[in-house]
Amino acid sequence: MRNPEFDNNELEQLLIRCADKDPAALETLYQRVSGQLLAVVLHILRRRDLAEDTLQEVFIRIWQQAGQYDQLRGRPLAWMISIARYRAIDLLRGQRRTVSLVEDDLPEEFVASEDPSESIEESSRTQRALKDCLRILTVPQQRSLALAYQAGLSHEAVAASMQQPLGTVKSWIRRGLQSLRRCLES
Amino acid sequence: MNYARGETIEMLAAEYVVGTLRGPARRRFERLCAVSAAAAAARGRWEDRLAALALQLNPVEPRDQVWRNIRAALAADTRASAPARPRRMTRWLPLAVAAALLGIAVWLGPRLLTRPEPTVAVTVLGADPAHAQWRVERSADAHRLRVVTIAALAANPDKTYELWALPRDGQPPVSLGLLPRQGEIARGLTERQTAALLAAGKLAVSIEPQGGSPTGAPTGPVVMVGVI
Repeated sequence: MRNPEFDNNELEQLLIRCADKDPAALETLYQRVSGQLLAVVLHILRRRDLAEDTLQEVFIRIWQQAGQYDQLRGRPLAWMISIARYRAIDLLRGQRRTVSLVEDDLPEEFVASEDPSESIEESSRTQRALKDCLRILTVPQQRSLALAYQAGLSHEAVAASMQQPLGTVKSWIRRGLQSLRRCLES
Repeated sequence: MNYARGETIEMLAAEYVVGTLRGPARRRFERLCAVSAAAAAARGRWEDRLAALALQLNPVEPRDQVWRNIRAALAADTRASAPARPRRMTRWLPLAVAAALLGIAVWLGPRLLTRPEPTVAVTVLGADPAHAQWRVERSADAHRLRVVTIAALAANPDKTYELWALPRDGQPPVSLGLLPRQGEIARGLTERQTAALLAAGKLAVSIEPQGGSPTGAPTGPVVMVGVI
């Protein structure tokens, strides 16, 4: 499946209708974003059944919390992605990964992924800006950040999978984030 | 807030969003966001910045069963919140029904919070009463806001109307979100918005760029004020 283009204006209208308890709006929202949200939770949870259960829960939360979506932020997709990621990360807490992290099991590095399709949408603009800014990070910074964000790994798990000392990995992630922020704000 | 504290919050927010802030520290940061607008805003900025990383994953289509389960859960939710039908009375029935309804209300309490609730009129916004534009209402506990458009607005795609609570004590306005161009909207309020609404003497409407004020304070002309 290719990345669809997301129309944040449409997503926002759908969320407003969800807040008013219009089930048709949730169905359309599901058609638009369920594939992307499943990818997000699957990369973290690594188990299809668990990921789909979580996706189900995430959409019920979106339905119940749509009224709390802050239109001022204007990034409905980022809001939904966050609900999905935080739920998946919380599910990981306290439970050790049963899946061993072999190299080819790791998610693709974001630097190596395909160009996002051209789109006038804000999400794509932000995506391009982020991509440009990622280039200024060192390769270890990029890789540790990808493992943490996309796969939901803890500092310790990132250190183990990169076979590096914990302190080194922590500082890669922290410095990577600081560089990203400086770059994105400039 | 001093610079060092601002930086600490910024990095805590970043690690929270990345997911590397874990355990009690993660919960502490969540509690901080509930009371600190600065922390919540920092978290929001990082969510926006890093969401692009999530979009670089290729979508995975869920099995059909997932939507069927969601639809079933929604149907249960809707049924549960439907008004009770009138029932034939017997001597014991009213008490039993009351007890059952109480039980259901306690059990369903958190779900029912997401429904539009009986509202308290807050104010009417408009140039004058004859040209009223919006009616603003809130739930009894001021955790939800409902805005009804009285006169639909001409579409100007570049501009939006943003609602502000103006505190009586001269503190800066607090945004209550964007106003609808037509129809009505109901939305939940954050603790900060609820507090601002309850403390406000007036509500104001400003014209803002698409997506709302970029600064968190009104940036465009204030076009309407309503006294609460």
